[in-house]
Amino acid sequence: MIPMITAAVLGCIGIAVYGMFFGLVLQGVDRKWAARMQARYGPPLHQPFIDIAKLLCKDNIIPKNAVKSVFNAAPVIALAASITILLYLPIGSIMPVLGGWGDIILVIYLLTVPGLAMVAGGLASGSPYATVGSQREMVTMIAYELPLAIAVVAIAWRLNAAGVADPFSLVTLAQTPVWGVVGIPGIIGLLLLMLAIAWVTPAELSRVPCDTPEAETELCGGLLVEYSGKNLALFSLSGAVKMVAMATLTVVLFLPWNLTWFIPLTGAVGIVADLAFFVLKVLLVVFFSVSLIRVGMARFRINHLVTFYWGYITLIGFTGMILLVLDAVLGMGVVA
Amino acid sequence: MSNKPVYTIPIGPIHPALKEPILFTFDIQGEVINAVDFAPGKVHRGVEWMGMRRNPVQIVHLCDRICGICGVSHTLAFARAVEQIAEIEVPERAHYVRSIIAEFERIQSHLLWAGVAAHELGFDTLFHLAWRVREEAMDVIEYLTGNRINYGIVQVGGVRRDFTEDQFPRIRKALETYEGLVNKLVTLFLEDTTIKLRCMNTGVLTEKDALELCTVGPTARASGLKMDVRADAPYAAYGDIDVKAILPDVYADCIKGDVYDRIVVRLFEVVDSVRIIRDLMDQMPAWPVLWETRYAKILSTCKKAEGEAIGRVEAPRGECFHYVRMNGSEAPQQWKVKASTYSNQMSWLKILQGEQIADIPIIVASIDPCMSCTDRVTVIRDGSPDVMTKDTLHRLSVEKTRRLQA
Amino acid sequence: MSIVPAFPEVLRQILKKPVTNLFPARYLPKSITGFLNKVAAGEATINPPVALPPNFRGKITYDRDICIGCKLCVRVCPAHAIEFLPETKTVRIFVTQCIFCAQCNDVCPVTCLHMSDEFMLADTNRYSENLIVE
Ligand code: SF4
Ligand code: SF4
Repeated sequence: MIPMITAAVLGCIGIAVYGMFFGLVLQGVDRKWAARMQARYGPPLHQPFIDIAKLLCKDNIIPKNAVKSVFNAAPVIALAASITILLYLPIGSIMPVLGGWGDIILVIYLLTVPGLAMVAGGLASGSPYATVGSQREMVTMIAYELPLAIAVVAIAWRLNAAGVADPFSLVTLAQTPVWGVVGIPGIIGLLLLMLAIAWVTPAELSRVPCDTPEAETELCGGLLVEYSGKNLALFSLSGAVKMVAMATLTVVLFLPWNLTWFIPLTGAVGIVADLAFFVLKVLLVVFFSVSLIRVGMARFRINHLVTFYWGYITLIGFTGMILLVLDAVLGMGVVA
Repeated sequence: MSNKPVYTIPIGPIHPALKEPILFTFDIQGEVINAVDFAPGKVHRGVEWMGMRRNPVQIVHLCDRICGICGVSHTLAFARAVEQIAEIEVPERAHYVRSIIAEFERIQSHLLWAGVAAHELGFDTLFHLAWRVREEAMDVIEYLTGNRINYGIVQVGGVRRDFTEDQFPRIRKALETYEGLVNKLVTLFLEDTTIKLRCMNTGVLTEKDALELCTVGPTARASGLKMDVRADAPYAAYGDIDVKAILPDVYADCIKGDVYDRIVVRLFEVVDSVRIIRDLMDQMPAWPVLWETRYAKILSTCKKAEGEAIGRVEAPRGECFHYVRMNGSEAPQQWKVKASTYSNQMSWLKILQGEQIADIPIIVASIDPCMSCTDRVTVIRDGSPDVMTKDTLHRLSVEKTRRLQA
Repeated sequence: MSIVPAFPEVLRQILKKPVTNLFPARYLPKSITGFLNKVAAGEATINPPVALPPNFRGKITYDRDICIGCKLCVRVCPAHAIEFLPETKTVRIFVTQCIFCAQCNDVCPVTCLHMSDEFMLADTNRYSENLIVE
């Protein structure tokens, strides 16, 4: 038991460092891409690291009428929760540290925690901007949870119908590409679900067009308006880690292939090759669902956001799910 | 809805949505605006005070700096007022030079606004694009006048620099660039779903309200008022060519007076400005460009002048109005500047009512406000700002008139 | 794609060269003054600024030898940037006060005032030697 715990602790620390580092790199890449799409040169790739380092040097300013304990606890909870998500997600062919203890439903729950922490922090900061931002964040969360859950459940159900044991486990998901078990309607359904998830990602990460809760020009940063210094650094880190988590989740659900499945590579070489391939997949996901969407649109108003997610994206998700069900019922693809 | 608590959100004097200081106070219920109030006067710079201690030749350069964007409009309005008082005949060619620069200024100002509007909507790509294509106009202005802003080209009695034949190809190149860009800009700004969602039926100003609130410029035209100083009271070279007020029906089928219509009007004014510049260039008369090149003569003529006059110019944001009164001394006795935002700002109270918090930035920006140009007074009493009521202002003006008459 | 016309536009743009003019360096140097000193010492290269137009109005230059002390420039300077020195019958121009209108250039009967191309005039001292022309 003891060595296992040691391994878990070491794994946690490793994952935390990996999550923050990779998250900041992803943010740097995202900024560079966005800049290029806007015909700008863009900041250096390591700009997010500079930003965090600068924030860490600065004083924490706590507003007079803030609820101090909640205000200070929120960023820590947000970061801790984001890192916890990563513990359940595989990286390339490295299986999750806590893979045996939880499944994808837990991940979906955990994904809401940083958001909730931000809401709590915003409400605790005692600024009207933050209050409006928190209300908007709650509405946003309610709006995008449904399509996310639909996509996950649909995929797990289809795997179950194909006779795969333990379909909610991330290990299973990562090792069984769902594309392999479906027929033509299933493929169309999966593509639709992928589209839905691609749109859920910017909402999860509070990026344009869904940065309504932070809305720089309307609420001067909304929920985060009163945060500064180290607390803000923690929130930024949590955002970076969440980006890794969301991208990894998409990769696990829709693009779980590893290089080693096709090319016989063994040992360290295999792991490195898989990691490189994984990074490539994550970058692809980030390009389409973060960078491209955020430069290509204006910000939604909060009522548009709700209509968009509950109306269009949920509809797309449902259609995808129905196609997957049909796929199984009609006996196309693999059915147990 | 109605049982939600009403709370007050201050926006300003410094806020990311506002490019210049002004204080808004919103009573918000949920996400909806119940009541609005605003307090300008946060960037009063005492421009008129400075002007009344300088001679007209110095003031033209002060006018350039009333607004960073409509530099030539203020100068032109002031110069026109002084020229009327001193009875200075401006050479024909100078009128053309003035108009061409004014039209380039309109192009760059409207593109600047389009970028700001996109940024307020969270659409930074269009912001970068609009400002990038704006550079072409800035470059031409710099090429013609020597500087990107604060052109310093208008002088009492004409202009300080002439355009030469070899400068024309560069101007033509810029015009061609804009003609090639029109379709792209129209598609990106007017066909985008998110922009339509955010701007259509937002911040509606009906034709009646626009008229009653005395709005001017694109704000008034977007609501369907056919008014444009260039067409109604032609100045400079606008009398020689065909200028019409651009209304939103050049693109949409009906005039709603919303934010979207204001985008339409400004974009199509850019198109029209390109045409106007072409027309002006085709019929430019010959030399000279300055009524008198010896400054001592200009100064002495202005010093001798007595009387009062107004200068009206259609600035990119609407009518810009200068009142000058000279009494035979070096400096004008009275100089009053009314920037276009002064006329437009009252429409905020109307168009913000009942809208959502999310739309505050774009609605506020939609009239293209220019606070620094507008702020003429700030009242400080016992160390704190004070509010002047209509009665006080009336009393003060009666007192001042008596003083002037004495 | 007229629902989101910006998507094709930005995808096309990503393949093109950015338009940013990387003046003075590609990325912000640790210290700008340090960087400029290095450039002066020849240890670093500077990305050139956008070319200046022919009629650009930069820092003022003054030829005191031909100045006749007529004070006309003082009279027309909108910014009160020119001070007349009665002892020598010459003028002194405060560049921090100057608004680069070139009106003094136009008015000077012996054209001893000119506008140069120099525009990098930032300084921590308003009265540094570089910012007073006499
Ligand atoms: S350029 Fe203009 S502001 Fe500068 S010294 Fe000459 S007249 Fe004065
Ligand atoms: S106008 Fe020319 S000559 Fe006269 S004082 Fe000024 S610099 Fe000297």
